[in-house]
Amino acid sequence: MSSRDQFDEKLERLVGQALQEQPLRRAPASLEARVLGEIAARARLPWWRRGIASWPAAVRVPVIAGCAVCVPLVWIASVWLATRLVSVATHPGNSGPLASMRDTGRAIASLETLATHIVQSIPREWLLGGLIATATLYAALFALVALGYSLLYPRTEYSKAQPT
Amino acid sequence: MRAYQDMVFSTALRLTANPAQAEDISQEVFLRAYESFDNLRSSPKAGGWLKTVATNLTLNHLTRHRKRWRLFSEVFSEDTREEELESATAIFDTVLTELETDERSALIGKALERLPDHQRIPLVLYHYEEMPYQDIADRLGISLAKVKTDILRGRVAMAALLTPSGFGAPDGRRRSPTPTPGAQP
Repeated sequence: MSSRDQFDEKLERLVGQALQEQPLRRAPASLEARVLGEIAARARLPWWRRGIASWPAAVRVPVIAGCAVCVPLVWIASVWLATRLVSVATHPGNSGPLASMRDTGRAIASLETLATHIVQSIPREWLLGGLIATATLYAALFALVALGYSLLYPRTEYSKAQPT
Repeated sequence: MRAYQDMVFSTALRLTANPAQAEDISQEVFLRAYESFDNLRSSPKAGGWLKTVATNLTLNHLTRHRKRWRLFSEVFSEDTREEELESATAIFDTVLTELETDERSALIGKALERLPDHQRIPLVLYHYEEMPYQDIADRLGISLAKVKTDILRGRVAMAALLTPSGFGAPDGRRRSPTPTPGAQP
């Protein structure tokens, strides 16, 4: 073993000894009051303002089930409603107030047809490539924002965090 | 809570070196303990659980506020010279053998607090939490080589802070722990 390794090993042992014999620092007297105050404040909150994990089971289960059912229902209802609106608005027999919607409905229907034709005329590989490119750009933008945040934001926190 | 609050606060304070942040983290630790009170009440491992949570919350806090040294310090890290190691060893030797316990504790505690984050955090994890180098590297998201370098340089920097010149002018009561280079016990 070289003399450098010997010094290294001895220094590690001495620093370990010096740190291990350090007594615990006394917690501030305010800590207990802060914790108890926060617990009391949380207990005063109504159940619906706490995290869903602490909601009563009788409420939590139906809410989760309802949310799970709502998502497909809203989607189906939206598609049905849009189809019906376009159908009603473009009906040739419409008159009165509905007649003014006819042109708008036709325009929407034409746009839908045009969009469908355009999408169908694009090769599938191009669509896939476009989706991947969009996802990549989105991820790059997210990474850029995250990097900027980690580089810039902590600089102000760092100055506060320095021991005096 | 009273039985563990000093331990939790000390764990957070050693890593952050900031009493206000350590108190905030300690509060969060005890709030989590309150949420798991049914499991912890009769558990003999409550102390270990609190220490682990305190360490993890503190590291999460520090990681959120990671600083740019992580990007650059590996490039500019220097090797520690043998003379520095020898001198640091002698200083610690002198401090441990010649100073009274209270005086020594105060001096070492102050030196630890004054270390920069990138040296103090791995040093505390290694010596207090007894984490292996690789675990520290994984937890902090830095290389194994950097962990070893930072810990070594942290020990040397602590030794420099233990000398009278390390904290500015001595108060006159403290005996100088400045060693003669090469002094051996």
